[in-house]
Amino acid sequence: MIAHDVELPPLQIEKLPSGLTLLAVQKRGLPLFHVRLSLPAGACEDPRGKAGLGHFTVELLRRGTRRRPAQDVDEMIESMGAQLFTDVSMEEGALALTVPAELSERALDALLEVALEPAFEESEVAAARRRTIAALHSDLDEPSNVAGRAVVSLGYGPGHPYGHPAQGFRRDVDTFQREDALSFHATRFQQQGGLLAAVGQSTPQELIELLKRKLAQWESSWPGRSQRSALQFTALAPSLATRAVIIHKPDATQAQVRIVAPGLPRSTPRHAEAVVANTALGGGFTSLLVDAIRVDRGLSYSVSTRLHMNRRAGLSVFSSFTKNDTLRELVDVALETMRAYAAAGPTQDALEKARRYLAGLFPLGLESHEALAEQIADALLDGLGLEHLKTYRSRVLAVTAEQAREMAAELSPARDGALLTVVGEAEAARRELNGLCPLEVRQLEEFA
Amino acid sequence: MPLSEKDFPVEERSLGNGLQIRLLPDRSLPVCTLYSFFRVGSRNERPGITGISHLFEHMMFNGSKKYGPKEFDRRLEAAGGTSNAYTSNDLTAYYEDFASEALPLVLDLEADRMASLLIDDVSLVRERDVVKEERRFRTDNDIDGMLDEALGALAFLAHPYRWPVIGWMSDIESITREECERYFRAYYAPNNCTLVLVGDFEPAAALREIERLYGRIPAGDGLPKVAAGEPPQKGERRAVIRYPSQAPAMLAGFRGPGGRDPDSLVLDLIEAALSAGEGARLKRALVYEQELCVDAHVYFAWRMDPGLFEISLKLNPGVDPQRAEGALWAELARVSDEVMSERELDRAKNLVRSQLLRSLATTNGRAHTVGQMEVMLGSWRAMLDLPDRYAAITAADVQRVARKTLPPHRRNVVTLIPGEVEA
Repeated sequence: MIAHDVELPPLQIEKLPSGLTLLAVQKRGLPLFHVRLSLPAGACEDPRGKAGLGHFTVELLRRGTRRRPAQDVDEMIESMGAQLFTDVSMEEGALALTVPAELSERALDALLEVALEPAFEESEVAAARRRTIAALHSDLDEPSNVAGRAVVSLGYGPGHPYGHPAQGFRRDVDTFQREDALSFHATRFQQQGGLLAAVGQSTPQELIELLKRKLAQWESSWPGRSQRSALQFTALAPSLATRAVIIHKPDATQAQVRIVAPGLPRSTPRHAEAVVANTALGGGFTSLLVDAIRVDRGLSYSVSTRLHMNRRAGLSVFSSFTKNDTLRELVDVALETMRAYAAAGPTQDALEKARRYLAGLFPLGLESHEALAEQIADALLDGLGLEHLKTYRSRVLAVTAEQAREMAAELSPARDGALLTVVGEAEAARRELNGLCPLEVRQLEEFA
Repeated sequence: MPLSEKDFPVEERSLGNGLQIRLLPDRSLPVCTLYSFFRVGSRNERPGITGISHLFEHMMFNGSKKYGPKEFDRRLEAAGGTSNAYTSNDLTAYYEDFASEALPLVLDLEADRMASLLIDDVSLVRERDVVKEERRFRTDNDIDGMLDEALGALAFLAHPYRWPVIGWMSDIESITREECERYFRAYYAPNNCTLVLVGDFEPAAALREIERLYGRIPAGDGLPKVAAGEPPQKGERRAVIRYPSQAPAMLAGFRGPGGRDPDSLVLDLIEAALSAGEGARLKRALVYEQELCVDAHVYFAWRMDPGLFEISLKLNPGVDPQRAEGALWAELARVSDEVMSERELDRAKNLVRSQLLRSLATTNGRAHTVGQMEVMLGSWRAMLDLPDRYAAITAADVQRVARKTLPPHRRNVVTLIPGEVEA
């Protein structure tokens, strides 16, 4: 029997009067120390017309501080054997470092200096702008990357806080100035809503004391308090009928396929039901869709459905790819399989398999220093609490057939109003999809 | 500071049929990883059946005597586990991550397919289609993939590293069931396999179960000889690809030492100095200072036979590839011509040491590292003194190995130019 609850390692959480949450996790074993700073500086915070500003600002942090130029920042971090990890999700901007345990104080100093005292030199801002635009251009060469950008842009739609990729669009990045980065940093790098996590060999109490001591040393470097207006999250409006957008990639011999429909936010009380229902449909290697598309027909190497669960809204996304002349077959099989699943839900065997698969593998997501910090930080910042992790197994194991069936219908990417996105050679795709639904051809460059 | 055997109490066993077993108990989480490393990869192939090692990796999931088609992953997932596999030039590795309660089932699944894999025409036809889609995804429609394939064919004239691991499309299309069966008999015998089990289990009980399930599988005959010869390279070689991309790209390769040659550790440090972290030489010079590239990346992996030290440049749109090349050669010349400072060498050593430590942070990572050391370096114990061996490398070693490995006449260069080839 799979144990029902997960035992988290010794940890301590403390919320400071400033609004910053401290998290300390004791992890014995390898002599490593990990620190992660998460701030409410995600892509959803990008100002209107400035898509990608959060990502741009976070990437600029390492390009020089008030104390040292970019080259010396790299030296400060990489001489410890570490590489600065940066990530901008829809909700947060995060910076993290993993170093040998004996370098914990140096790592904290380095991370806080980079996060709190960026120089944003004019020349570095201009160079970063050129680099980002070149990278956005270059990313068009990866069809799966273009498909991912299209899912977010078209799935949430323009104007939605989640309606752009974190890296933004070339047209917006082109306008970024030093003042934009300064303003984003001043208003989003706030203790309120942020979290500083440490994972190491010391006791949680010792780690908390270390974090407090270091924060005291860097207290004056935080931007002053700032009030921001709340983001407006309107419900995703379902379309009336299925439609298709083909993004033309010249010379492509394979088409990337995504089918997108509104999903659920991460905070849904029915999280476990949603994850179980999705796993039976398109998770793992034995899902209905893997059987129908890969195992039975050899149409693709990869097929999955995934729930993009952000804090306040989400998407339900089918992903696969196939050669140009089997595009229609793949889409037809996918839609047919997903519609049948939406109507009937999982079989008892499939339900049981999905539950045990999720429960059995869950502890693996909490193994490394980095994973522990990220998973616990996300659970706390999303307002789910530690219980979300501790009781994950018992919750997924308790999902009933009825609950899974309801969720299968509610989350199906194939329901009316779904968006079919294809990245591939336009004429070939148009021929294949002819008669399926209204088609629109867009150019690759629109998604840079 | 070496890694301590106390922290990695690996138990070593082998069965009468030659199966190597490495066990590393760790009760910190209720999970296990089982790896099966087979000493077979694309270097064991020949023209006409290129890609058979990888195709075979797929075939291993299509059923055996006790567990029929679709049963392997179905049983595993229903018990709280997942599986995957990869094929390289030198080896094929299969793994399962799973809730520790599933250990008896996982051992039974693995032993059963080693003992009695089913290879039928229906599953071969279907799996061939899946692999062709994988090839279209990873190579035909992927710039890194098409450059890599062209570089192998350029840098090697005789050695099997010449062809891609996934194989040429025409070979994938024509591999027969009989060839698969021969391949299975030759390479999937217990005496060509190392089993690594890490995680939450009781060693004596696990060993008893492994002996019971695997002990009855007969040893195979000796392995066919690998045609590992390669003539010396007497001058720079070049190839050009035209493809409708947004920007040019370049992949250069230099034939280096095999994985067991001590110089390969020196090349690990050169790799770190050139491309690990934003302050690495190539990133600093080509990405940040000269703004020629979106990314500059070095890839060097230990191989059974002398493999490639590769440098990949993803150029900014509109940049002249010759200009980027010039900047790259200048940076490589610096490694050969100038003595690396102690500070920079220490940086590289620290980065490589941290990378090794981080690879040991998960159950799967520990199992993979133990098995990889066993197969590529001859013993899992090699990982224990790796930190000391890196620490002992001097700036003179770096210069010596750079001069030997990276001279201009050993260059192999593939350039991708945006544009279409006229039909």
